[in-house]
Amino acid sequence: MNDMNVSCVDRERIFMDGSAAEWAALEAHAATCAECGEELRVWKSMSTAAGELRQEWETPHLWMKIERGLTEQMYQKPSRLRAWLNSIGLAGVQWQTVAALLVLVVVTGAGWRIFRPGPGHDSQGFLNKSAVTDVERAEAAYQKAIDKLEAQAKPQLEPTGTPLMASYREKLLVLDNAIDELRTEAGKNPANAHLRRQLLAMYQEKQDTLQEILETKR
Amino acid sequence: MATMGLALPWEARISNQEQERGNRVGLGENPASGLAQAPGEVRPDDLELAAACQAGEMHGYERLYSLHGKRMKSIARNLLGSSADAEDAVQETFLKVQRSIGTFRAQSSFVTWTFRILINTCYDARRSRMRKKEVTTEGTEESPMPERRAPGAHPSLKLALQRAMEKLTDHQRQVFLLYEVEGFRHSEIAGMLEITETASKNTLFQAKKNLRTMLEPPRSQAAEAR
Repeated sequence: MNDMNVSCVDRERIFMDGSAAEWAALEAHAATCAECGEELRVWKSMSTAAGELRQEWETPHLWMKIERGLTEQMYQKPSRLRAWLNSIGLAGVQWQTVAALLVLVVVTGAGWRIFRPGPGHDSQGFLNKSAVTDVERAEAAYQKAIDKLEAQAKPQLEPTGTPLMASYREKLLVLDNAIDELRTEAGKNPANAHLRRQLLAMYQEKQDTLQEILETKR
Repeated sequence: MATMGLALPWEARISNQEQERGNRVGLGENPASGLAQAPGEVRPDDLELAAACQAGEMHGYERLYSLHGKRMKSIARNLLGSSADAEDAVQETFLKVQRSIGTFRAQSSFVTWTFRILINTCYDARRSRMRKKEVTTEGTEESPMPERRAPGAHPSLKLALQRAMEKLTDHQRQVFLLYEVEGFRHSEIAGMLEITETASKNTLFQAKKNLRTMLEPPRSQAAEAR
């Protein structure tokens, strides 16, 4: 391996990017060259001294601090949403509830657009064919969203619940009956805007009641 | 370049134990860096670690700390000069890793990526400290003090080296520290600093040349002194 010939001019190149064989050859050359011997020694001594700059010390509490920071940060991420929910009085509400509420907001908005007096609505309070289709679609989505809300409130409405829950249960029963009746009527007379408005009011009442039930959970 | 008044006769500074570390010089690369992998190659355990952290699992971060925490502290200590600042930087690094884990695409090693964040964190801290120093009084400069003295290089050389390292450019200091002090490979340093391996080698060479000039009077002066 030491058959390789190196001279003083190769020294810096080897310092920078020499192969193991070149280093060995430089060592051999340095044994007979004072200048290269000194440079090699100085070069290596810097590495020796540098290696000893590696610091080690005990930090028994550092991981605990890091862990606490990570945990806090983990919960900070959704905290913006939490802060927003808090600001609108919905702190502590499950995300599913929030999603259901958002759907309700969207659907209610759509319902308002449909039921307000407009092009799909004639002067006698009857809906035209395309408006009926839109209303039925919005109603179905609204009902689906309320069903989700109801599913979340269900555990609280169990018969073993509080008297307050018992009265909520009765109220919901009444609302469900009213909704069923109105739906039957609306089925017979789909273009009747008045029936549709009443039905919407009942849905809204049911939505409010379910929200109240979920609020009491907090 | 000035010698900073730190020049000592090499005989007094060079340890007889240089050979054990000097072997690394001869071999070109450090075989025991702990992150050894080819550039672009991502090891399965590294991916596992990244996946655990991405999933928000605390044990992933804990493992990252237990595997690399010591080295992270050491790098930060050498870049920032104090143990307290180093610990803060390591903690901040973990928080940054958690905040940006979603942007990690496994195109490089997760650990290398973490060290890159650490180095940037340390430099942000240095910059912020320098800005504060400009505003406050001068002359209270805190020079990094070694916290332990292992047998090896002469303590004066270690101290002189620490002070001389402060005079290097940021880039040279980083490469010197990562290679010579922490024992990373050039391929790893390239990943951490987003440079090529050749650039890492060149920078290390320049850093050592500068350090040599700072620590040792020119040969002509030394010859005159004799």
